[in-house]
Amino acid sequence: MNAGEKTDMSNTLDRREFIRRVLALSAAGAALSLAKCAPRPSDGEATSTSAQAASPTAARPQATEAPKATAASGQSEAAAQPTDALSQEQAPTSAPPSPVSGSAYLAVARGAGADPAELTRRAIAAVGGIERFVKPGARVIVKPNICNAYHGPEYASTTNPIVVATIVTLCKGAGATSVQVMDFPFGGTPQASYTKSGIEEAVKAAGGEMVVMSPIKYREIAIPQGKALKKGKFYGDMLDADAVINVPIAKHHSSAGLTLGMKNLMGTVLDRNGMHARGLHQTIADINSALRPQLTVVDAIRILTANGPTGGNLDDVKQMDTIIASADVVAADAYATTLFGKTAKDIAYIQMGAEMGLGQMDLGAIKIEEIAV
Amino acid sequence: MIATTLRRFRRWVQLAAFVLFLYLLIWAGRLPFLRADLFFLADPLTGLANTLAARHIVAPILIGGVLAFAFALVLGRAWCGWLCPMGTILDWTPSRHTKRYDPDPAHWLRALKYFLLILLLAAAAFGALAFLILDPITLVYRALTTAVWPALLFIVFRVESLLYQAPLLRGAVDAFETVFRGRVMPVQQPYYAGNVLVALVFAAILALNAVRERFWCRYLCPLGALLGLVGKVALLRRTVGNACIECQRCARACPTGTIDPARHFESDPSECIMCLECAPTCSRAGQTFAGHLGAAAWQSYDPSRRQFLAATGAALATVGLFGAERASGRDDAHLIRPPGAAKPEFLSQCIRCGICLKVCPTSGLQPSLQQAGWAGFWTPVLTPRLGHCDYGCNACGQACPVGAIPPLPLEEKQITVIGHAYVDRSRCIPWVDNRNCLVCEEMCPTPEKAILLDEVTARAADGTETRVLRPYVVHERCIGCGICENRCPLNGEAAIRVYPPSELTAVG
Repeated sequence: MNAGEKTDMSNTLDRREFIRRVLALSAAGAALSLAKCAPRPSDGEATSTSAQAASPTAARPQATEAPKATAASGQSEAAAQPTDALSQEQAPTSAPPSPVSGSAYLAVARGAGADPAELTRRAIAAVGGIERFVKPGARVIVKPNICNAYHGPEYASTTNPIVVATIVTLCKGAGATSVQVMDFPFGGTPQASYTKSGIEEAVKAAGGEMVVMSPIKYREIAIPQGKALKKGKFYGDMLDADAVINVPIAKHHSSAGLTLGMKNLMGTVLDRNGMHARGLHQTIADINSALRPQLTVVDAIRILTANGPTGGNLDDVKQMDTIIASADVVAADAYATTLFGKTAKDIAYIQMGAEMGLGQMDLGAIKIEEIAV
Repeated sequence: MIATTLRRFRRWVQLAAFVLFLYLLIWAGRLPFLRADLFFLADPLTGLANTLAARHIVAPILIGGVLAFAFALVLGRAWCGWLCPMGTILDWTPSRHTKRYDPDPAHWLRALKYFLLILLLAAAAFGALAFLILDPITLVYRALTTAVWPALLFIVFRVESLLYQAPLLRGAVDAFETVFRGRVMPVQQPYYAGNVLVALVFAAILALNAVRERFWCRYLCPLGALLGLVGKVALLRRTVGNACIECQRCARACPTGTIDPARHFESDPSECIMCLECAPTCSRAGQTFAGHLGAAAWQSYDPSRRQFLAATGAALATVGLFGAERASGRDDAHLIRPPGAAKPEFLSQCIRCGICLKVCPTSGLQPSLQQAGWAGFWTPVLTPRLGHCDYGCNACGQACPVGAIPPLPLEEKQITVIGHAYVDRSRCIPWVDNRNCLVCEEMCPTPEKAILLDEVTARAADGTETRVLRPYVVHERCIGCGICENRCPLNGEAAIRVYPPSELTAVG
């Protein structure tokens, strides 16, 4: 500008003062965030601390103590797998805890017109209660299926908000320090999908946090057991979390047959197109060998029987008032197929998962508790 | 010192207006109570051109236009000096500085803006709005939304990714991401065709400050010309009284160079932007800003009949050229308009503001560089391979200030056909490789899938018989949203592509 500016001392001072303040503020902010992250252990430590935390209570062994079903189908080398994974520092949430004595391997709560919250609580209680999966001080991530922003929950294309909120409440009650809820929708922005699905409102009311998954946080890890995928970029926060709770909705999906718990984990992987290109079923089984949620709760309050996974037609929605819970995602999925008049053998990824030793698909070989509400 | 205070006050107003401009820009489509197009409504040039070309008037444009003209009738070009984001950016851009009064390189340069104004309005009267790309608000909005902001997001993303590798910094990056991702920064990086071109043009406009301060405002700005013409009869004007000692300080301070020693330091109200930079320089109260009735003197560079005829002739020539363009002969095969915008009058309604491009969450709406010819330069075109039309979104129609993209309710938008998908059986995996893929079917968002699957027996790669699901499109259900084309896992051209719809099919 002109001479005026040079003589105007206050302006120059303002600018300097402004820069000084911005610098001071950012320094303070950086210090705060550093202080906040300091007690948080880095990857390798996270693995060991969670292992230590688990050992005294004996509630979370690394699946070496296989459930009776595992022994029955002879999957001992698979059962040893998570221990290898631990030493290779790839998947901290590497193994679902084995059942507490007396509790069921898989629980199904149902009751026509029953409160979804009650069904959720009863099913989780029957598999050992939330305390089995969430320790005091744990950082928990809940992964529902919020795949699109097209329709509300009544269309059964996204997980029931009451079920998600109930899980958040349970985790908080068990002493979790943070409960984050997230998904990466393919149809619409995360914000729009969180709102449209009703999950944002319910989760916030329950004291949970809705988090937009950040594109910078994906980390590549090895998938040693993988057949079609040898490595993959997974959402880092899920790898670091003390517990991941998988909350799929049971619905129709033409290429996968059905989308259930194992398929729901596609939302934690960056390159989903690549999974399609390499063969969907085997890649779904592969990612499930790397990222293993502590608990799977299948929402079958309403199920979508056709035109999935997006839906949009109420004629395709069937009220089932059912919640399935298990630490074993394969077993939970295997049971969920029966709601569609199918069996686990009809869905290739469940079969592949069972063959890889990720869990049990033979419903006759596990302890199932059916709860009428 | 009232004069100094006023001058400082103006700078704060400029800053506030610019912050508001940025806020409306970044939050466009998600604003809780303000309209994203406030600055376009306050810009009487886009409104007047749209009204002339579309031959109808939109209520918000009428209100905004009346207010803007009333403002100009009182304060002349105060808009340029106080509110215009282009003017503010140019004030913040370093410019040529001389110790003495710096006359225009050539006097006729000031006439250029009037030529552009008449050209723009005459072309608009003939139905062509392409020259609105020269409107300063569209220019700044275009530069910031398609060039500056996406580039900034890209750099931030790269820096964050780098810092995230360091365990010590992870917490800080994490906190930053939690606060800004999804709120200020979109989850998906926006991409725009022509962003480099836009950046070069914008940089050139800023660089012209090296020739003369506010070169754009003095010589080129068609909006400044329009406000200047109104300013000829503005109430409040700067005048020089007898106390003037001809010290030249005001002439040196004037950013538009309209204080001319040859005119006894009087200024032309059409050129004065009421910035008050001159006010504190006058030691003897030689100048005043006071009310005047009647028109100010016509200057040599002000529009003449000859110039009017020349500009109108140029507009006529342009319209002829546009009409004889290749794009006018037959629509481009990839010219897919936003929902409801595929209509003959679209080109005479769209003011090229680019808000639709900004609010499109998938980057699917791209500025047309050549699909719609020069006549449709910078109008929105859906490019499904880059981004599809999200089934749950109607943001473009809601954001369009002039209704060129109609404000369809979501339910209506979801059955509005913008194109039709066609499977390319010479590329599609189940057709070529005899193995399942089905991504397009999975993605299809219509309540009854528009993509269906045929189960057939075919030979697998190893020669054995296998069952394969092959996609086909039911055109009665397809709305042309293009998510199938977008997500087709093939590299390069998709094996299912959307083309503009033929008249024969429609949903509902």
